Amino acid sequence: MRTHARTSLAVTVALALTACACLPASASAVSEQATLHASFSPDRLGASTTISFGFQIATTEGLAPPPLTSLDLRMPAGINFTTTTLGLAICQPAALLAKGLAGCSPNSRLGFGSAYVEVPFGTGSGDEIPEIQALMGPPHDGNMVVLFYANGKTPVYAQLVFSGEVLPAYGAFGSQLATAVPLIASVPGGPDVSILSVQSTIGPSRLTYYRHSHGRLVPFHPVGVSVPARCPRGGFPFSAQFVFQDGSSTSASSTVPCPPRRRRG
Amino acid sequence: MLSGVAVLLASVGASLGVGAALEVGVARAGEPTAHVSRTISLSETAHLHRTSGRGITIDQPLNEMGSASGTIRGAIYIHLKLPAVNRVTAEVNIYPSGGSITGYATARYSVDGGTASFSGTMSIARGTGSYDHASGSGLSFSGTIQRSNDAVSVHLSGRLSV
Repeated sequence: MRTHARTSLAVTVALALTACACLPASASAVSEQATLHASFSPDRLGASTTISFGFQIATTEGLAPPPLTSLDLRMPAGINFTTTTLGLAICQPAALLAKGLAGCSPNSRLGFGSAYVEVPFGTGSGDEIPEIQALMGPPHDGNMVVLFYANGKTPVYAQLVFSGEVLPAYGAFGSQLATAVPLIASVPGGPDVSILSVQSTIGPSRLTYYRHSHGRLVPFHPVGVSVPARCPRGGFPFSAQFVFQDGSSTSASSTVPCPPRRRRG
Repeated sequence: MLSGVAVLLASVGASLGVGAALEVGVARAGEPTAHVSRTISLSETAHLHRTSGRGITIDQPLNEMGSASGTIRGAIYIHLKLPAVNRVTAEVNIYPSGGSITGYATARYSVDGGTASFSGTMSIARGTGSYDHASGSGLSFSGTIQRSNDAVSVHLSGRLSV
């Protein structure tokens, strides 16, 4: 996975000064715990849907977790991003980094979300990176690539582009999104920030694509991932594996319950 | 007489780049029958459109129909399934004049923006009519899918014995 950053990552001077009085949050070994949640909207068998997923990472000691370095999200069998009309255009990472979303076609957007991060000298409640965009990137070894664009303003000023690769998965899972998460330095040469939570969508909700028709650009909504036509016993399983900078790891799982049967007639 | 036909076909086939061989079988009545097989170099291109389904999944095939042109001509139907994110399987039915050919293909599948592509191999499962004894060797199966409308272009090549 390649990672791109437009600027050196920095925080405000005031926060940097505060950092001098604090120990890095991840300096000591901690026990990470993660929770994962996922949902479909609409939640109907066979329907085009938007997948919402999110995770939270905490430690039993109440400290910030170590910086996250990789995330492997596994999705249920039968859910396949390649069968959608999402990502009809390719977004080039360099253009995304240079111009932000304006550097890529609207038809490359896959979803969006936000994240909370903890700077080592933070209050403990986390600071929001309000804009995370998911876009279709250039394929790698024939596999679909999802680009994530994180646009942080304060206290972490960072525009990051990193990527996840959609790979096959087995058993109850049909695919996995293997993502290498870049380290985000709080200040140049300083400790890295910790990711506390991420929320994101993959799907057509609130996305508008455009096509040319008779010389005009016509907006349309892309077709999303289809909820499988059959629900496995116990629901649709999701799981995530988290690996941290210090080499530790943890995992979490979640299940989307089978939707209620629709009444006939 | 049969051997004479075989020699004739072989000589005609040689001039056309087509090989011929003689197979001898036993009919129901116990009388020997003969089938003269010829091997042709297959190169088919077809453009298809969706007839049902929307997108392909493991349990929902993308059904396509169109016309094949090249070595043999006729209607072509393809049913595509996606058992994994990077693999596609297909049932291919071609209806040339005088019979039909059915094959199964498996191919690597990848998505590049608005176009998905696949490339793999195909085997002949059965034939009918003039293609009753159809078999293939070294058959390749490749093509593209326009993701916006599921239009498919497919190319088949290799050696076909009929």
